[in-house]
Amino acid sequence: MSAVTVTDNRNKTVYSDELRRNIVEIESGKRVYETKSLNLWYGKDHALKNINLPIQENEVTAIIGPSGCGKSTYLKTLNRMVELVSGVRVSGEILYKGRNILDKNYKVEELRTRVGMVFQKPNPFPKSIFENVAYGPKIHGIRNKKLLHEIVENSLRGAAIWDEVKDRLHENAYGLSGGQQQRLCIARCLAIEPDVILMDEPTSALDPVSTLKVEELVQNLKKDYSIVIVTHNMQQAARISSSTAFFLHGEVIEYGNTDHIFSTPDDKRTEDYISGRFG
Amino acid sequence: MVIREQFSTSLSSLKEEVLSLGSMAEEALAETMKAVSRHDSEKLNIIITNDRLINNKELIINENATLLITKQQPVASDLRKVVVSLKISSDLERIGDLSVDIAKAALRINELPGGQGFEQEIQKMGARTNEMLKAVISAYRDGNVLEAQKIAAIDDEIDKAYGEFVQSIFKTAVLKPGMIENITQLAYISRYIERIADYSTNIAEWIIYEVNGRRFDLN
Repeated sequence: MSAVTVTDNRNKTVYSDELRRNIVEIESGKRVYETKSLNLWYGKDHALKNINLPIQENEVTAIIGPSGCGKSTYLKTLNRMVELVSGVRVSGEILYKGRNILDKNYKVEELRTRVGMVFQKPNPFPKSIFENVAYGPKIHGIRNKKLLHEIVENSLRGAAIWDEVKDRLHENAYGLSGGQQQRLCIARCLAIEPDVILMDEPTSALDPVSTLKVEELVQNLKKDYSIVIVTHNMQQAARISSSTAFFLHGEVIEYGNTDHIFSTPDDKRTEDYISGRFG
Repeated sequence: MVIREQFSTSLSSLKEEVLSLGSMAEEALAETMKAVSRHDSEKLNIIITNDRLINNKELIINENATLLITKQQPVASDLRKVVVSLKISSDLERIGDLSVDIAKAALRINELPGGQGFEQEIQKMGARTNEMLKAVISAYRDGNVLEAQKIAAIDDEIDKAYGEFVQSIFKTAVLKPGMIENITQLAYISRYIERIADYSTNIAEWIIYEVNGRRFDLN
């Protein structure tokens, strides 16, 4: 990773005011996660190598890289879902709001109420639309029907799907289109009022219009949530994120302001990947 | 494995188109200066008519670049190559227009009694600007940042020559009031040449941007 210098003297690098502001923001912004010297092994396979990466609060961070580069693995360390894989070993630190979530005393249940996740394929429960969203809050002990209704409505509104489903809340979620199911899953995630939303290729199974709707939604959600999105879609990363990390062979090759990464990346491997020259 | 070979080929042919536009603009300037020195009104009229070929070439480059962006969605240095081809071709088209402006002013002088005067100075400025244009096109061909940076020095030289030239012709105007129209046209011609040098400097800045991704202010 390399630092970005900003100068504007004659015959020196000239950035526009906007890009300069972005670069300053990324260097000084508040961080929700701080990953320090993270290593991860699947058995003998060294899948993540010395990862040092900040995740900015109330921003969208995109993680890009070719298949098998470790980006999904990294995402799953952020809510410790990776522990479900047998033979996993981890070293280093992931500070979430200053506390190391890899610490054995850190309660994973607590972490998962703060960190929601949306997967590649929409995975609604075989229940009604209402029950899908109310499921999380119910598990957390909310029984008051009026309050549950409020949560469901707000979550569905937050996921920009309320108008499409408000008259069919008690129909089975499987009757929704793929794009609607994915937004329902986002609503389900919002219902537990997380701080962070992890998204693992959330639009790769969706048609172009649904994809744009989810992208629009992500943009609107970032004022209330910190979002980390793994995507294979380069244009998507460029469109919706404010910072981007490029992973290759389990390493972070480059991390920085998205405008910078997609216009003048510092590392040739980043340039080759985003230009579609390998991957 | 090298992928996107077709895209790379399209990028190269886009650059070839810009280089060919560069040769056209450079030839237009050279021919204009030659016709100016020979007071060849017929040739000057041909240059004015032929400018549409330059305009047309720029349109083709614009269309091809737009199609490349639409179909290939280039990023980073690829995108800079496309954007720079648009910028440089627009500067080259303006250089073509300025040669036309020179030709028109020369035609007006050719119709005036008293002739041109100051031929040596004006030809010297034209020749130096032509060298500059050639150098910048060659720097673009090779992606040569060092050569591009040297262009700024020639621009300073031409700016200076222009200032001195205008002063000296206006001094003459005071002494020879009958020459005022001729001298006005000469002032225009020298101004157009100086503008061509400015556009060449712009091109040099775009070369640096294409290669390094950074904007440099050379003038």
